[in-house]
Amino acid sequence: MNSTDITSLYVHVPFCAQKCSYCAFFSEASSGELIQRYVQALGRELELVADSLRPRTIFFGGGTPSILNLRQWEFLLETMHRLKLTGAEEWTVECNPATVSLDKARLLRSYGVNRISMGVQSLDENLLDRLGRIHSREMVFKSYDILRAAGFENINVDLMFAIPGQTMAIWQSTLTEAVALGSEHLSSYEVIYEEDTPLYERLHAQEFDVDEDLACDMYEELIARSGAAGFRQYEIANFAKHRPVADPTADKEAAAEESGMTRILPSQACQHNVNYWRGGQYHGLGPSAAGYVGGVRTKNWSNTEMYCSRLEQGQRAVETTEQLEPLARAAETAAFGLRMNIGWPFQQFRRITGWDMRPEWSVEMDQLITRGWGRADADRFQLTPAGLRFADAAAEMFLR
Amino acid sequence: MDALHIRNFSIIAHIDHGKTTLSDRLLHRTGTIATRDMEAQLLDSMDLERERGITIKAHPVTMTYKALNGEIYELNLIDTPGHVDFSYEVSRSLSACEGALLIIDAAQGVEAQTVANVHLAMKQNLTIIPVINKIDLPHADVAQAKVQLEDILAIPGDTAILASAKEGIGIEEILEAIVSRVPPPKPTGAVSLQALGFDSFFDTYKGVVTHVRVFNGELKAGMHIKLLHSGKNVEVKEVGSFNPKPYIREKLEVGETGYFTANIKSPKDVKMGDTLTDARNPSAALPGFKEIHPMVFSGIYPINTADYEHLKANLGKLQLNDSAFAYQAESSVALGFGFRCGFLGLLHLEIVQERLRREYNMDIIATYPSVVYRVSMTDGMVREVDNPAFMPEVNYITKIEEPMVRAFVICPNENIGDMMALISEKRGNVDHTETLDTRRVMLTSLIPLNEILIDFHDRIKSITRGFGSMDYEHTDYRESDMVKLDMLVNGESVDAFSCIVHRDKADTRGRALAAKLKEVIPTQQYAVAIQAAIGGKIVARETVSAMRKDVTAKCYGGDISRKRKLLDKQKEGKKRMKAFGTVNIPQEAFIEVLKA
Ligand SMILES: Nc1nc2c(ncn2[C@@H]2O[C@H](COP(=O)(O)OP(=O)(O)OP(=O)(O)O)[C@@H](O)[C@H]2O)c(=O)[nH]1
Ligand code: SF4
Ligand SMILES: [Mg+2]
Repeated sequence: MNSTDITSLYVHVPFCAQKCSYCAFFSEASSGELIQRYVQALGRELELVADSLRPRTIFFGGGTPSILNLRQWEFLLETMHRLKLTGAEEWTVECNPATVSLDKARLLRSYGVNRISMGVQSLDENLLDRLGRIHSREMVFKSYDILRAAGFENINVDLMFAIPGQTMAIWQSTLTEAVALGSEHLSSYEVIYEEDTPLYERLHAQEFDVDEDLACDMYEELIARSGAAGFRQYEIANFAKHRPVADPTADKEAAAEESGMTRILPSQACQHNVNYWRGGQYHGLGPSAAGYVGGVRTKNWSNTEMYCSRLEQGQRAVETTEQLEPLARAAETAAFGLRMNIGWPFQQFRRITGWDMRPEWSVEMDQLITRGWGRADADRFQLTPAGLRFADAAAEMFLR
Repeated sequence: MDALHIRNFSIIAHIDHGKTTLSDRLLHRTGTIATRDMEAQLLDSMDLERERGITIKAHPVTMTYKALNGEIYELNLIDTPGHVDFSYEVSRSLSACEGALLIIDAAQGVEAQTVANVHLAMKQNLTIIPVINKIDLPHADVAQAKVQLEDILAIPGDTAILASAKEGIGIEEILEAIVSRVPPPKPTGAVSLQALGFDSFFDTYKGVVTHVRVFNGELKAGMHIKLLHSGKNVEVKEVGSFNPKPYIREKLEVGETGYFTANIKSPKDVKMGDTLTDARNPSAALPGFKEIHPMVFSGIYPINTADYEHLKANLGKLQLNDSAFAYQAESSVALGFGFRCGFLGLLHLEIVQERLRREYNMDIIATYPSVVYRVSMTDGMVREVDNPAFMPEVNYITKIEEPMVRAFVICPNENIGDMMALISEKRGNVDHTETLDTRRVMLTSLIPLNEILIDFHDRIKSITRGFGSMDYEHTDYRESDMVKLDMLVNGESVDAFSCIVHRDKADTRGRALAAKLKEVIPTQQYAVAIQAAIGGKIVARETVSAMRKDVTAKCYGGDISRKRKLLDKQKEGKKRMKAFGTVNIPQEAFIEVLKA
């Protein structure tokens, strides 16, 4: 393996059965022909990057990757196999509970996909409806069983809170049922009102109000309940189970955890996402996908036809590139890394960015510490539980 | 024209009783304006005036009229601003006349402004010709109007001319009455020229164009004249009259009205109401001159600090045609650099602000208006304070006096109770109640000017469902228990929110302001304490509770760039907010609170 090799791969599948009311991802209701054309184009894009890619983590997101049919998946998986892109330690595919079949699940598993992220969002029928989700409660439970039966031992459940119309009682029962599934990972985030979505329009038409206090209470509830169910929060919106392997330092770490400050990632944390927050490199393939290679952020065309025709001409489909000054880049890495409970070990930060956090951001760190939002040890800086709730303010301070 | 054939008159009326329509009629009937292609209401030349239907400037127009007796007369009509804010300007215009047409809407009867204007005309000893207008209206009640003339204004009802300006009824009779009833101007007997400058406008080429009425002697181009109160000598470049467009005349003689120019660059150089006389052989000043003193002050600040110079230039332009408007630079901790502006009254203030916004496209914040307080200090000095920020510390003050007005409120009988309550809420005393007719009464009361600044007029309108009217005249100062109310945000006083209020009202006002501030200050990472304080004593407090979190989760690979840009933008935005300690107050909050 070459030291400049990229070890993370994100693939965007820009199709959904139907558009959800809150969704601002680039995805569109599918037409069979375009999907087929996309699959071919993606095959080419994989070929174009394969040389510099030795994936340790792969993430197929969307959109709804599970909407691709068996034949299409077979083609993609076979292409990846041929290009020696399989065999990642963590390989996630996002699934919509309405589009999971046992055959498809087995196919994915057989090529090395070992993690499934399920877009559940809610377990309340009314809310699912209101969000424009195409699946029902029942489908969630059913597809969860199918995935387990197909041999997936690492499953993430996505949940949303502060949905208009969602009461605390509804949220609590969704949480209870969701953790009872027994998944290894939970990611849960507050509804975001993105411009150009139907939900945003409705907010602005004042069809409903945003209840900040309730949203905060729901977030606290999430942290409490997931904790009680054995999840460890490792990032603002991410929770994972921990299956400690025999490790001589485990006791010391456990003692540190007692003090309320996390120092290690839970074993089931999503490595792919951790790479983002650590400022790691990744290739992003598919329409609208973002990549970060050699300090340059790229974004593919958010237009599937354009994407396809570029690749059909043998070119990458990059629409924009952005390269920050070294300090700004390091600042960005610092800012986003602080979203993780374990914060930034100084040495690691320096290794990744080339900057020493202590002299460069000492003013900001001191301010955060005085506010009770930050904490510095000999080896790291991290946000306190209070600080994590203001990670945006902290990030803003770090940016240059 | 010999003085015996000159008549100078004004038209006074309550708003909308038909002053401008009648003026138009007179201009037509005298052939001053030949065709109907003129814009309706020609005398209201400023857009805003026409839109609001109010006359702001006093325009003189010269008409030639052949009377029934066969003789030719020069009739000078001096249109006056109708609104109370401009009462000094009304008196100035009136003092250029010998007579006044008093218009009463036959359907409305006497209104508050009718009363106030008649008082002014009587003080100038003018001959009043009552005109009952709009007799064409189906609900016109001429008999009632006559009774009111006698009862309220002590003017014999049978001297009234019945007219419809709209239908052209009674116009001839009015013109004849002007000739027969209004006395011709009489020379004062002074040794030389005496003329009254009663208004002005600015012309880019000619400089200040001053409207004048000659009382004695004559005014000609080439003369060296002295402006007695302004203390300036100038050479007259041009004299003329209006028909209603300006036209040059050889000279203006005793009793005539018109204008003169003299290369005067700034309207500030000619005090309104000043007496012009011969520089080489000066006469005494005409009686009645008063310096114009703004009654109401407000700070005007550019929302965008970069617009400061632009605002300054535009205030200068406004002042060219509005000599009653005063401004000077000031600065506020909260709002930065701006101007302290003085106005004749609230309408004047609104008009200036509206013109800045609309005609000059400026984004401005105007601070809460204040009257001028007289503050007697322990060292014996008396200070005039028009800005709460400059109110001295309590222990240096022996007493504070505030300006009072005599207010005339006319309202339907059934609203008397509510109206009395409103007046006493406004710290006023009703000292006179008069029955106008079977439906209405007039309450005369003494009220602090400060209390009628904001919502008095609107409240009257809403109590009476539009049927009430109000006018006022300035009277004296009266000692009052005024206090400075400070608004503190996290312990720091925000000057833009301070105001001077009566002690009895300070608590209520403090609570209302605190509540409003709580509404408009966005939640921040810390709790924000809002307090209202009088001389260090807290009278109201509110808390904007702290934001509990600011992250709306989720930030993966594709979001990073977008999120960073968003945070960068926020960081920039915070730099533009006004920071008080750790609290950021957005500009909009200032506007909202001042509107409260
Ligand atoms: N029916 C009727 N309406 C009239 C008559 N005279 C004026 N009006 C109407 O009354 C309204 C007010 O007339 P204006 O001439 O603008 O009144 P004004 O006194 O100049 O008003 P301000 O300048 O605002 O004080 C207009 O809609 C006129 O058309 C009249 O004799 N009969
Ligand atoms: S399924 Fe996911 S990507 Fe598709 S519309 Fe819904 S939220 Fe968006
Ligand atoms: Mg008018």
